[in-house]
Amino acid sequence: MHFTPRLSPLLGLVLGAACSSSEATRPDTTLPVVTSSSPVTMSVVGRGDFKPSRISGEIAVRGNTAYTTSWNNTTTSSAYYIWDVSGTPVLVDSVTVDGARTLGDVAVSDDGSTLVVATESSGSLATYSLTNPRKPVLLTRFAPAHITVGVHTAKIGRVNGMLYGFLSIDPGGGAKAQLVIVDLANPAAPQEINTTSIGNPYVHDTFMRDGLLFLGLWNDGVAIWDIGGGGKGGTPAAPVELGRVKTVNGKVHNIWWVKDPVTGSNRYAFVGEESSGNVGVSSSGDVHVIDVSDMSAPREVAFYTVSGAGTHNFSVDEPNGILYAAYYNGGVRALDVRGTLGTCTDAQKSLPAGSTVALCDLRKMGREVGIGLLDQGTPVFVWGVQYVGGAVYASDMNNGIWKLRSVTRP
Amino acid sequence: MRMPVARTAVLLAAATALASARLHAQHAGHVMMDTSTTPRSTMHVMAQAIPLFTRAVPTAGGNAGSQLAVSQVLVMARLGFWHDRGAIATTLDAEGLTIPNGEFDTGAYGEGFVDRRHPHTYVHELMVTGRGVIGAASWSAAGGRGFAPFGTDDPMMRPLEKFPVNHHLSQILERLAAIGALRLGPAMLEAAAFGGDEPTHPASVPRLDRFGDSWSVRGTVLPTHATELQASYARVASPEDVTGAGLGQRKRSISARYIGPGGGRYVLAEWAKTVDHDASRNEDAFGYESALVEGAVRAGPLGIALRLEQSERPEEGRLAEPFRTPRPASDLSIDGITQWRVATLQLAAPGTSIHRVSGVPFMELARLWAGARDARSVATPDRLYGTSRLWMLTAGVRLRAGDAHARMGRYGVADIDGPAIGTLASGTMSPHAH
Repeated sequence: MHFTPRLSPLLGLVLGAACSSSEATRPDTTLPVVTSSSPVTMSVVGRGDFKPSRISGEIAVRGNTAYTTSWNNTTTSSAYYIWDVSGTPVLVDSVTVDGARTLGDVAVSDDGSTLVVATESSGSLATYSLTNPRKPVLLTRFAPAHITVGVHTAKIGRVNGMLYGFLSIDPGGGAKAQLVIVDLANPAAPQEINTTSIGNPYVHDTFMRDGLLFLGLWNDGVAIWDIGGGGKGGTPAAPVELGRVKTVNGKVHNIWWVKDPVTGSNRYAFVGEESSGNVGVSSSGDVHVIDVSDMSAPREVAFYTVSGAGTHNFSVDEPNGILYAAYYNGGVRALDVRGTLGTCTDAQKSLPAGSTVALCDLRKMGREVGIGLLDQGTPVFVWGVQYVGGAVYASDMNNGIWKLRSVTRP
Repeated sequence: MRMPVARTAVLLAAATALASARLHAQHAGHVMMDTSTTPRSTMHVMAQAIPLFTRAVPTAGGNAGSQLAVSQVLVMARLGFWHDRGAIATTLDAEGLTIPNGEFDTGAYGEGFVDRRHPHTYVHELMVTGRGVIGAASWSAAGGRGFAPFGTDDPMMRPLEKFPVNHHLSQILERLAAIGALRLGPAMLEAAAFGGDEPTHPASVPRLDRFGDSWSVRGTVLPTHATELQASYARVASPEDVTGAGLGQRKRSISARYIGPGGGRYVLAEWAKTVDHDASRNEDAFGYESALVEGAVRAGPLGIALRLEQSERPEEGRLAEPFRTPRPASDLSIDGITQWRVATLQLAAPGTSIHRVSGVPFMELARLWAGARDARSVATPDRLYGTSRLWMLTAGVRLRAGDAHARMGRYGVADIDGPAIGTLASGTMSPHAH
């Protein structure tokens, strides 16, 4: 993709070598679907920057406060940043995390009481009290020996009213990747309740909802675990796998299982493929749509691709049926995900890269409804997005944090 | 800037080739075997160690650093038997003990090290070779752990002590390999199947289940006694992730080499390129290109060597230890591509010998210029080092017992005889390769 001018012609001479839908648990209604063939440009409210000192990682927003991590720092004294996002984002404070070169993930509990930060080089989970959201107070650094290789991501969520953390541990030191589940009933003293070696070769991220845990297992695709909501007797301490699916090209990084409050549909989960990338310059990887109407036999039905760019994390405005995807050098992409995605005409199908089986192509289906940050006159590399209250917040590895207006349905 | 250097390398290679007036039909290699003149068995053994001091200004992390180390601690042995129809070649390397955290070498990268050259595996090579003759041609088959037929000689058999940036672009080493070679007069063709997994530790053993997932071919022509031209191509599966989940590599190399009688003059010009390839998406991801010219000459009692290199390397997230990168990496991304231009000058003093142990004191000075290939990269030299211009000074003594081996990385009929490079071979220099 990004090669120097070369002597390929000469060397070539010298060397010469060498979709259909299925029954959903809740059938889709027939609400009108946006059929945009020309996505709107998402307008920007403002940008908060702190160049050139840090490279931004993930973002978490609650109310008028946002937290962004920093990635691949030049020392092992890293920081995450606290922003007032009531208007144009304004940096209000930072918190130093020692003994880590990268702070890869950040999440806030649903009640706003606890913030967690995942660290790599070396790996740990740092937990903070958010009694004052603008002044996090460190509760503990959870770092048993088997996670110090690196905590790639950390998600938190409730199962039967109890708060848990889901830690994706990097492989290394001869150990395989692991998923570690911790009980965060007392965030100052996380209790490890389950550790599973899983992923090929990584488990990169998780998505938890309603007692179901979706795991991004790279080349092993997506696994769905019952941890209390799947009816198979699973618990966070003893998960029960419900099903798996390998998506085209593997490299599964992240998942978002959508529950549409308007249509009642929960048929689709969206999967981010994280293929090769040159940070700041290029990326690749598609959004894959899997039909999970039968959790024991999920299957891929559609995809979305952006030429020359690859996807990363998602956030969904579920009341409006719009998925926002961080797309690195491709900015932010907004997709209409309401209605049936797995049924389309032949003309609306395409071959995903490296595949011989055509799938429904969300772009050809008119589902690409918005593009953000490609009009700002500066290269962007968007790591994460979060939709909150009519705004979309994007963490940009190059430029800090952006606040954009969300896409409205016509 | 890249293209002129690449062109220059190719032109130098071509000029070196054209400098030979005639093709030499029977280079001093093992083209034909005459059992009446070939001993029943032969044995050549060499031991080497280089105690040295390196000062790097700056090095990873942005600070200056110094290191005392013992590098390139080797025992090389070659046993020929059945009148040289069979041979066992081995190189045992103790760097895993003497430099477990690598040797200061700004710009170097690979196997989870950066700005320090990684220690080699304890069994650097152990290859068993058989050979025969078919009409006017000779053939050989080799198997074991060693070099895949690709690119140029291991830098340990070349005059500069510090490895070039392009080591992982220009050699494929320490692999479980099966190699077939055919030689007809001055022309050689090698082909190999091997395992793509590169070592992760000095004690690493190649994975049997990876054997055969990679291949390479190399053609070599010897226009004269002193000159050789090679071109090679390789497809290497997931070298950086032993599970096979990493990007593959498509590699190309061309080179020209000249070595004068007795090894007193030596010149190498090479060009290499590696493209990281995503097999599942059938897309090329990144490419790294290198052009290198080096030479060495004996000037009276002194040895002088010079290397000019322009090479590109991937930048990766570093561990808490700034000289290390995670293996395996946590994804398929890189943080940028840095282009290095390096000029390295070595002066070697007259060697001294005591019995069969020789010592050649030397000093190397390297000036390095680094720049991001793409201005949008986040991992820039200024961010990594606080500057884009760096120095490296090395002083040491090349200690050796036994006859100098001339080459490393070729087997059977592709193992080209000739003298060792003079600046390496002071003391007990042998005119024979092994």
